[in-house]
Amino acid sequence: MIYLDSAATSFQKPPQVLRAFVKTLGEASSPGRGAHRPAMRAADAMLDMREDASAFFHFKDPERVVMTMNATHALNIAVRSLVRKGGRAVVSAYEHNAVIRPLHACGAEIDPAGGRAFDSEELLRSFREKLPGAALAVCTHVSNVFGYILPIREIAALCRENGVPLIVDASQSAGVLPLDAEELQADYIAMPGHKSLLGVPGSGLLLCGASAEPLLFGGSGSDSLSREMPPYLPDRLEAGTQNAPAASALSEGIRFIRRHGREHIEAHEKSLCRHMVELLHGKDGIELFLAPDESEQSGVLSLRITGRDCEEVASRLAADEICVRSGLHCAPLAHKSVGTLESGTVRLSFSPFNTHGEIEKAAAKLIKII
Amino acid sequence: MKTYLIMCRSVTSAQRAARLLENALIRSAAVKAPKDLTRSGCGYAVRIHADSERAVKLLRSREISIGKIYLTEDGSEYREVSL
Repeated sequence: MIYLDSAATSFQKPPQVLRAFVKTLGEASSPGRGAHRPAMRAADAMLDMREDASAFFHFKDPERVVMTMNATHALNIAVRSLVRKGGRAVVSAYEHNAVIRPLHACGAEIDPAGGRAFDSEELLRSFREKLPGAALAVCTHVSNVFGYILPIREIAALCRENGVPLIVDASQSAGVLPLDAEELQADYIAMPGHKSLLGVPGSGLLLCGASAEPLLFGGSGSDSLSREMPPYLPDRLEAGTQNAPAASALSEGIRFIRRHGREHIEAHEKSLCRHMVELLHGKDGIELFLAPDESEQSGVLSLRITGRDCEEVASRLAADEICVRSGLHCAPLAHKSVGTLESGTVRLSFSPFNTHGEIEKAAAKLIKII
Repeated sequence: MKTYLIMCRSVTSAQRAARLLENALIRSAAVKAPKDLTRSGCGYAVRIHADSERAVKLLRSREISIGKIYLTEDGSEYREVSL
């Protein structure tokens, strides 16, 4: 099998991630619910993960690293913490429904910035124009559809200049691209644990640079006499039993990345993407969607085949055990920006475990489908 | 024997405190706080037996959020102390 769908979730995990998950499942119970050994082991697993994430992302306070179910959960908390009904939210034109839907549900006015495909200058111009008076801004670091790397540092600087709180969606960048919380100074950075951080499904993180409002209410193992959630993090946002085995897996994922070098993983995924582009470029019937500047392209690639429905292409690849994603990828706004809303695209996304040989086999199959 | 309990707002704070103290070679453990000492219900604390002043100074210098400090000697009742 050739797995090229790591932008959805990384399927291949380092063995130590799986071992850590099983070990904590076998030895730990519920964090913050007692002082017996299994409970304290669970709390240890949670704190290890917070400390690993805090160090990896240069985020000062591990107690403000909140564990969530996934990036969507984290983004929902962030949006609900900042949006007041009718407030204007400036978003990039590449946002996922994990941003758009919570904003809509909270009654925000959604104001997309930069509708021209892969044009960072236009995107920055548009943010500069729209930010004054906005209630908040939300920006993805990398388009989940096209792998386009947005100028997040510059956008964060513009938000600071305008005093507009910023939510960064790091779903496609955390673990692969440089992501420095201290430098960005965003109010919230949301990310999944199960994609490039190599943890397991059911894990995500929210780095809280600002105070946050709970999305879930319930037991926290602290301040039990109060009917309110505790005012401090992480307890304020972590109601109910937390997923300690997933926290252990996430810790190991982060440690794996540190050991192998994030920069090395980034270079590997980009080289796989480049290789695929070289093999497909110029082939009649294949349309590739790429950032014009190679430095703005991550290890995610979208394409179309003339006359073929993207779902048909993905199904034919799946029949040959080549796993890709097709359709709108839960990001209609991004497809609208690039002009692929009607057709959708086939998306190939790479991981540290893919090889150049796999890229050649997948490319050959795609060329056969034309 | 003296036992100090340094109250913490959460298990996360208590464990961070305990790790920090252990790294500074102060024997410590994150424990559930006695119910009588927690005004708001469940809570956690760091337990130490010695080096109390150095421990508190260290925790404050590293911005670990701590609350009141209690002392018990040879099984006596906890009493609040200031360090």
